[in-house]
Amino acid sequence: MQRTANSKQTPTGRPQAQPTTNTQQTRAPPQMIQNMARVTDPKHVPKEIRDQFLKKIHFCSQPYDFNDDTKNVKEKQERSQYLQELFDLLKEPNFVANLVVPHLDLIIEMIEKNIFRPLPILKKTATNGEIGMEDDDQLIDPAWTHLQPVYEYFLQLIVNEQPDVKSLKIFITHSFIQEFLELFDSEEPREREYLKNILHRLYAKLVPRRKMIRKAINDCFYTLIHETYKFNGAAELLDILASIISGFAVPLREEHVIFFKTVIIPLHKVQTCQFYHEQLLRCSMLFLSKDPTLATFLVEGLLRYWPFANSAKEVMFLNELLEVLEVCEISKLEPLIPKLFKRLIKCIAGPHLQVADRAMCFFENDYFLTILKSYKPFTFPLLVPVIAQIADTHWHKVLQESLNALKTILKEIDYQAFDKALNNKDPKYLYIIQDAKNQKKDRQKIEEKWKNLTKQALQKNPNFKEPIVPYSDTHIVGEHNGLNNGNITII
Amino acid sequence: MSENPFEVLKEDMENEEVYLKVNAMHRVRVVATLLGSDKIKSQLIPYFETLLKKEDDEVLFALAEELGNIAQIIPNQSSCLLALLEQLAGFDETVVREQAVRSITIVCGFLGDNEIANTIVPMIIRLASNDTNFTCRVSAVSLMCPLYARAGNQKEKIRQKFTELCSEETPMVRRAVATKIGEIAQFMDKIHVIQDLIPVLKQLCQDEQDQVRLLCMESLMNIAKILNSGENKTNILPLIIQSAEDKSWRVRLALSKIFADLAEAVGKEIADSSLIQIFSNLLKDTECDVRVIAVKSLARFIKFVSPEKLNLIVPLLQLLSKDPFSQVKQNACEVIGQIASLLPKEYSQSKLQQYLIDLMADDNQDVRRNAAKSAGQFAAAIGPEALNQFVPFLKKCMDDPKWRVRKETMQTIIQLALTVKNPDVFNKQLESVFVMFLKDRAAEVRSMGLSQLPALIATYKQEWAVGNFLSKCVETLSKDVGSLYRINALYAIQQISFAVDGPVAQDRLWPIVQKCLKDTVPNIRFVSIRVAKSLSKKIDNQQTLNQIKQAINELIEDPDRDVKFYAQEALQN
Repeated sequence: MQRTANSKQTPTGRPQAQPTTNTQQTRAPPQMIQNMARVTDPKHVPKEIRDQFLKKIHFCSQPYDFNDDTKNVKEKQERSQYLQELFDLLKEPNFVANLVVPHLDLIIEMIEKNIFRPLPILKKTATNGEIGMEDDDQLIDPAWTHLQPVYEYFLQLIVNEQPDVKSLKIFITHSFIQEFLELFDSEEPREREYLKNILHRLYAKLVPRRKMIRKAINDCFYTLIHETYKFNGAAELLDILASIISGFAVPLREEHVIFFKTVIIPLHKVQTCQFYHEQLLRCSMLFLSKDPTLATFLVEGLLRYWPFANSAKEVMFLNELLEVLEVCEISKLEPLIPKLFKRLIKCIAGPHLQVADRAMCFFENDYFLTILKSYKPFTFPLLVPVIAQIADTHWHKVLQESLNALKTILKEIDYQAFDKALNNKDPKYLYIIQDAKNQKKDRQKIEEKWKNLTKQALQKNPNFKEPIVPYSDTHIVGEHNGLNNGNITII
Repeated sequence: MSENPFEVLKEDMENEEVYLKVNAMHRVRVVATLLGSDKIKSQLIPYFETLLKKEDDEVLFALAEELGNIAQIIPNQSSCLLALLEQLAGFDETVVREQAVRSITIVCGFLGDNEIANTIVPMIIRLASNDTNFTCRVSAVSLMCPLYARAGNQKEKIRQKFTELCSEETPMVRRAVATKIGEIAQFMDKIHVIQDLIPVLKQLCQDEQDQVRLLCMESLMNIAKILNSGENKTNILPLIIQSAEDKSWRVRLALSKIFADLAEAVGKEIADSSLIQIFSNLLKDTECDVRVIAVKSLARFIKFVSPEKLNLIVPLLQLLSKDPFSQVKQNACEVIGQIASLLPKEYSQSKLQQYLIDLMADDNQDVRRNAAKSAGQFAAAIGPEALNQFVPFLKKCMDDPKWRVRKETMQTIIQLALTVKNPDVFNKQLESVFVMFLKDRAAEVRSMGLSQLPALIATYKQEWAVGNFLSKCVETLSKDVGSLYRINALYAIQQISFAVDGPVAQDRLWPIVQKCLKDTVPNIRFVSIRVAKSLSKKIDNQQTLNQIKQAINELIEDPDRDVKFYAQEALQN
């Protein structure tokens, strides 16, 4: 999974400080710092130094075409040097207090002018949500080398303790945060890493702005869930959320529970879910550690949004499901038991070996076996006939062995119930592993009834239009699942 | 046997497979028809209520759709469905709520204006004021458009709510408003559009999210359509100017895409005086994708400005035809081809011709192809005198290594020949290029030439066909240049035979075919049989006919199976 490299985080979720890229440490201190060193009373910065400082800020606010290395070469060089000097100033508390803080407005404006830009055109990469695809043609924004110092400066500015909450707060407005969040869609992973660290620090530092930041992040996710279906920075935002969640007080406020239900759970259904699933799982588990009663909602959500024709995502869901089940209170699971076990059977009997194998792992888990035992009257009649049949017929030897082992386990749990279920003449759930033709036979009776009713309706109303049912045994994907409904963007 | 329809539905809905439940849901109209309106109200609707909480989105989507169908069964009492639909319109899943909105619109079709004002408008306002669920507010926006016109004295309320939603903090709602503002304007009185919508449109065009600004572009165009020239000048033009300078290339791209329609909407006067200048900047945009789309729009844009203003565009074409990005050049070719018919001849000849000639020699095959295509349009607009200059380059294009370029060139030549209709020009200039199809390496090009041959023969008559052209065919046949070329030439002769009279076919064509019947390649022999057959339909002279029959008869014993087959077939009928 490609995102693992990005989350260099301590267990508490706090990003580690970025190593500063100060490659020019050996060079002589820049002129401005030398001049400043001569100033005896730091409270009164001489006008010429202040002017110089402002000039440099102003210079760095100028836009250049960073995509073309041949243009404005000299200016760009000068700009890098100035940025380095401004950066160095942050290390001197005196200057920060007397130069940086009083001119915070200009500095933030400089940062905004640099980083708030329309993101460059994203070339279509071959990654259409498939895991395991090599991401070797990842794009690098040619402007990145010029943006990186600005980001570094911004980060250090926030890290620095002198610009206090009060003075920073004025600049971190709603629209600032919205524009800042839009940058998370950048294709450049290093940029997203900086954005993450900066936003994280801002959140930590600006207590009065926290609610607003959380709301803006929510909107970002709503857009991902309801409209765009793709957002490059989802993993990074979830990283930040993880540490925010771990700071939530117990019992959870209603606002946070709503967030769990309207954002965290629906995020599972997004097509690009695999890009941030690891982070999403972490957030979910953090929520559950705060409030275990939420687990049943998540189980319900997982079963509801179970992936279709995407086995890699299915494996992820299975992993998550088992983890979440362990948090569930067994008695609360009752309404979900049929759906849960039928899903597992489908996975085991399905054509994909890895999915089947993951589903078999459930039966190695003690807590899961306890669930199974607690609902024996339902689970045995469902599991036993199906398992017995595929244990005989499965195409893969290893899986066949573990199916036989499972049979033994079930037999050991309750010999009588096992026998009774095995000898049932008319097992109700065998249809799950049967092909469509057999299922058709089972439906004959009710289809006949519908046919009669349709005839009656035609008699009653000659203008009656016969309904067209979207699914048939030859056509298992409904018409509205097509790619032409306008809600699916093909990436 | 009489089943209770409601029980059947419930039984089928007990099923655990989602797709079966969806199927069952789509059969609800059977149930509704049989139950009648009273039982729909007393049984079906309460049952649906229970489904809302527990069913999957797929089932609810089907339910939302079927509610619209039930409305058609009980048109007079369809308002009983609204409570359900209102709930569905606030659902999380996008497809469900969009479908619910569509069904509500259907229901409204059956309602009287009174009901619209008393039930629907309050419902819309309720949805629009739902602070906890942004999905309700988005659905409200979609509902306002189709129903505004029927809201009677409640119109003001809707207007007020709509404009209120424009200043929402939630970006999803602002995006919905930006998409719909152009649509709702179509239903409003002009005065309200100007008083209420324009201010919020202005605000949305300056939104901090580029997505919102982008969605405004289409709406901008729709609103421009209903305003008059003066109103557009004061209200829309500033927004166009502002959007053309937007810092986000996505917005500029969206603007470029609709620019031609926008020009049509605001009218010639504004287009002439202001839009050309704005558009010029888009054509020079730093982002190549914007330029590509802008040039594409330019081809249509030029129709909506006065011809005399076009000379502002011409210098840009020089720039565009030398653009580093080949797709820009490709689209520029098209513009040059079309603009020529709008400009004075001498002017386009002196300014544009050279660009097109340069583009015909471009490195990119698609550019060359489009250039060859546009050269035809260009030359047709200028008239025969331009051909002198183009023909050498078209000839060069026929030597292009890419067959697609050659095919396009061939088509251009044929089109020109058919529009010029001047034998002098044709013989001097075009024919030499046209006959190159006989020797082309690509079958596509050869069959292209062949397919248009009848039209050319019809235009340039028998003299050309049996004169110059036939000699070219004979030349191809006599040179040993691969059988495929000879087959092609034979088919060309067949085409000639359709157009000439008996004696010519007999004296000029038959001797050639006669020779080919003895060719060493079997495929040529059987093609010759077919050509001979069509010749025989023209010829009256019994002696020649016997000759033909005799010659084919000899091939009955041919060692090749296919030749035998065709010979037999030819003799049978």
